[in-house]
Amino acid sequence: MTISRRNFLVLSGATALTPVLASCGGGSGSGGGLQYWSAFQNQQQQDYFKKERVDAFQGSAKVRLTVKPTDTIDRLTQTALAAGTGPDLVLTAGPAQVAAYADAGYLLPLEKYSQKYGWDSMLAPWALAASRVDGKLVCLPGGYETMIMIYNPATLEQHGWKVPTNRSEFEAICTEAKAKGLMPVASGNADWRPASEWWVTFALNHSAGPDAVYSALQGRTRWSDPVFADAINLLNGYYQQGWWGGSVDSYFTNTFPNLYTALASGKAVFMITGSWATSEILPYFGAAAGNDATWDWAPLFPLRDGVPAEVWDLGIGATLSVNAKSANPDAAAEYLNFLESDPKRQAQGIAEASLQPAPIQLSAADFPESVDERLVRLYTRLSNAATIGYTTWTFWPQQTDTDLYTNFDKVITGQLSTKDYLDGLDKVFQSELAAKKVPPAPAPSGPAK
Amino acid sequence: MLPLIAINALVVLGPSLLAVYYSFTDWNGIGTAKWIGLHNYIELAGDAEFRNALWHNILWTIFFLVVPMAMGLFGAYALTRIRRFRLLFRVAYFLPYIVASVITAAIWENLLSPDVGIGEVLHLNFLGSQTLALPTVAFVNNWAWWGFLVVVFLAAMQGVNPNLYEAAALDGAGPFRQFWSITLPSIQPTFMFLGLMTIIWSFLSFDYVYVLTQGGPAGATDVLSTLLYREAFASLRAGYASAVGMVMALISGVVVAAYLVIRKRKDWAV
Repeated sequence: MTISRRNFLVLSGATALTPVLASCGGGSGSGGGLQYWSAFQNQQQQDYFKKERVDAFQGSAKVRLTVKPTDTIDRLTQTALAAGTGPDLVLTAGPAQVAAYADAGYLLPLEKYSQKYGWDSMLAPWALAASRVDGKLVCLPGGYETMIMIYNPATLEQHGWKVPTNRSEFEAICTEAKAKGLMPVASGNADWRPASEWWVTFALNHSAGPDAVYSALQGRTRWSDPVFADAINLLNGYYQQGWWGGSVDSYFTNTFPNLYTALASGKAVFMITGSWATSEILPYFGAAAGNDATWDWAPLFPLRDGVPAEVWDLGIGATLSVNAKSANPDAAAEYLNFLESDPKRQAQGIAEASLQPAPIQLSAADFPESVDERLVRLYTRLSNAATIGYTTWTFWPQQTDTDLYTNFDKVITGQLSTKDYLDGLDKVFQSELAAKKVPPAPAPSGPAK
Repeated sequence: MLPLIAINALVVLGPSLLAVYYSFTDWNGIGTAKWIGLHNYIELAGDAEFRNALWHNILWTIFFLVVPMAMGLFGAYALTRIRRFRLLFRVAYFLPYIVASVITAAIWENLLSPDVGIGEVLHLNFLGSQTLALPTVAFVNNWAWWGFLVVVFLAAMQGVNPNLYEAAALDGAGPFRQFWSITLPSIQPTFMFLGLMTIIWSFLSFDYVYVLTQGGPAGATDVLSTLLYREAFASLRAGYASAVGMVMALISGVVVAAYLVIRKRKDWAV
């Protein structure tokens, strides 16, 4: 058989393109079973998840777990969905991303599965509210988190301090600690620039208060309102006094390992952070670190009279949806239900692998005996929270959220006034509100359960 | 050629044309895009973050046109004057260039640390200071970069006719005079080409900035590429990010066009 030069070139081109195109394919429903892409903090977590959450699933289809890098899983998923493929279960970074996926038609509405599996009564109402786009349930929270204060009890005892329960107690300790050469609040954003929003979340919810934040999220109050300006000015003042991270310059170069080490060694007093830190700090305390340091946590305190004594700033660290192109949506929903249900399974995940639990009611009886008592205390109190606050990365639309932490750094360096910061934030927020990009938020009062 | 053209069309030309299209839309990177005409470009004109990033790119370009080019020329010329250990120095200069930028950046981040590194000794927070951060990142990038220029300039210098140096030496010209009157004019095409590439690469610079500072502190090291990345993947404004990319491409296009005109007039081979 002879082959013409033209045909040879065409075939060569096709041969060259084949692997390229093949690599773009695959995904939903291919290869049998359910495709699930996920990312993990460490190998122990990954191994636990594979054993207890993948292999243990005895549903109508086998789950095939593919582990992706933490920092690229969002983009890989986005690319695959845009190409009409992707995993059957779609993992996202939070409600703002879910809204974009839902608008693009990538996600299957879950109402019928919600009725079938009783998710309305199983999951916390605030979490279900945040999982709707245009009134349709399109995801379930893969795990939830809150803001807490972590401290080293020995450090407080050594200096004769008690865990602060209000602003004046907190400021008194910070003043004394700074005078003694300690870092009052271990903080920094060298490893993760958006970390600044953790502390803005703290200021907004615990100074302005959750009612004011909720009102602004609904568009009834402007972010330029004096109540928010007071909150930002207060937080900025803490930075200027060197309470946050030692100094403004240090704040920008403080890494998390250094901050955890400072907390363990007594060089730092408090750490205001997310509940995820209860697993991240473990290598720095006790036998794992070769020291006898211990840690504990406390709920965040009010920064203004009139703000409830305990406000639990809730956040959704990840969401799970069913791919609209899934060849087996019923099995995908069945697996979703497996991941979200059973309090004992959730509690075991916390105890054995520091996994964030689904927002379902947990009691002390759900936890295995081996569990760390501090985690039981955290998650049982959290699931009975009376007043909730709003983490910016969950309830703010994407562009407003990015401006919120990017420009807050300019406030603490003096490049931007609080007024200009909030005016700019409000302008972007109003445009996203008009475009219906603001994730739904539940009211702050009433039981979160 | 056909396979190459096909691949190029798939992975370069197609996405490039799509980027032009998306720069005129409000695309969020997901789903459908809505045509909004010149809105992104109008917003860019009034965007303080864009102006800040562009200014940093200009400063970056000036730095890389002056410092590493001067170091590269000097290093290469010095190597032409020695006989022993020339290969050793070439390897030593070139080695940082082949180390992954992420590793180089991580090493320097630790070396400059205000807690345990040079920063502690000098009481300076190189990457946390608003004024020091950009020069520090440029310094680290240059540390890895200038050795490459040495090798390229050295190759060009070795092509210069040695008789010219002998004649100049007989006429009493010293090393500086020889460099100025023989070496530099002889390697002018290479010099201009590297200058062109320096400008283009400076406007594409991303890795060292992202690893060391992510554009911080408070935008002090933000460049167009980090702004583009943030708009596309954090703010989910892929349309706006495409407009930033178009400006970057336009700047590179103007530089290349200017170079091609000069090249044609001077009849350079490079």
